[in-house]
Amino acid sequence: MSKRIVLFALFAALAGPAVAHHGWGSYDAAHPVTVTGPIQTSKFENPHATVLIKGTDKVWTVTLAPTFRMTNRGMTADMIATGKTVTAFGYPSTVEKDEMRAERITLDGKIYEMR
Amino acid sequence: MLHDAPAVFVALEQSGFASGIRQSLWLYPAANVGHIVSLVCFAGAIAVMDLRMAGALAKTTPGYVLKIGRLASVLAFAGLAATGFILFAAEASHVAVNPVFQFKMALVLLGLLNVAYFELRIAPEVKAMAPLEPLPRAARVAGILSIVIWLVAAACGRSIAYF
Repeated sequence: MSKRIVLFALFAALAGPAVAHHGWGSYDAAHPVTVTGPIQTSKFENPHATVLIKGTDKVWTVTLAPTFRMTNRGMTADMIATGKTVTAFGYPSTVEKDEMRAERITLDGKIYEMR
Repeated sequence: MLHDAPAVFVALEQSGFASGIRQSLWLYPAANVGHIVSLVCFAGAIAVMDLRMAGALAKTTPGYVLKIGRLASVLAFAGLAATGFILFAAEASHVAVNPVFQFKMALVLLGLLNVAYFELRIAPEVKAMAPLEPLPRAARVAGILSIVIWLVAAACGRSIAYF
């Protein structure tokens, strides 16, 4: 039995971060990005709200915070609805292309912390 | 990522049930908190039984420790399963292909097989034994195996978010 556990553990370790998605671990804090543009799609959903922001060079998938935290900090689904212009400061994903996790966003001149 | 997962998990994630979980402000966080609290209760109950089987707390009656521990751990496991399913459903297509989640599920299966083996083969013999009476070697092995399996499963659960 214990041999099998070791084999499983090895497999899990080697399989690696194929689907990294959450936490801050898989984002490159050494190369922060600032994106400003209109919101193309908006999901005010758990576990994290997500918006697509059309930047100057490309469309970023921006991962925000859990909706309970966002609400708690004064943000509603309407405030990040499609068409609104927003600035996101955050870190690009080391796993998923064109995805970033926002440290904070600026909306109508007001800053909202996501962490 | 959506297309990598088996269709059943994609369908679960796209169901009204899963969508309702994602859109509720409190349901997902509540399931998250409930999962951890259930885990604490489960680990506590399991630890008492496993330590007894491993030879600690030798002055207690094995049958009595198992009776109480079994009740508490079954209730806590039901809580873990219910809250875990809510967390899983919300992101089923992503979580199903997560290697750490798959490893954790294999451990849970292994843990439940250990429970089944223990309850069918070892518990009937052990529960009639007196305090301080040496337990069979199989009981010791099952107890130690159990505590290792469940602790590693818990560690894997917390690690899913980082892989």
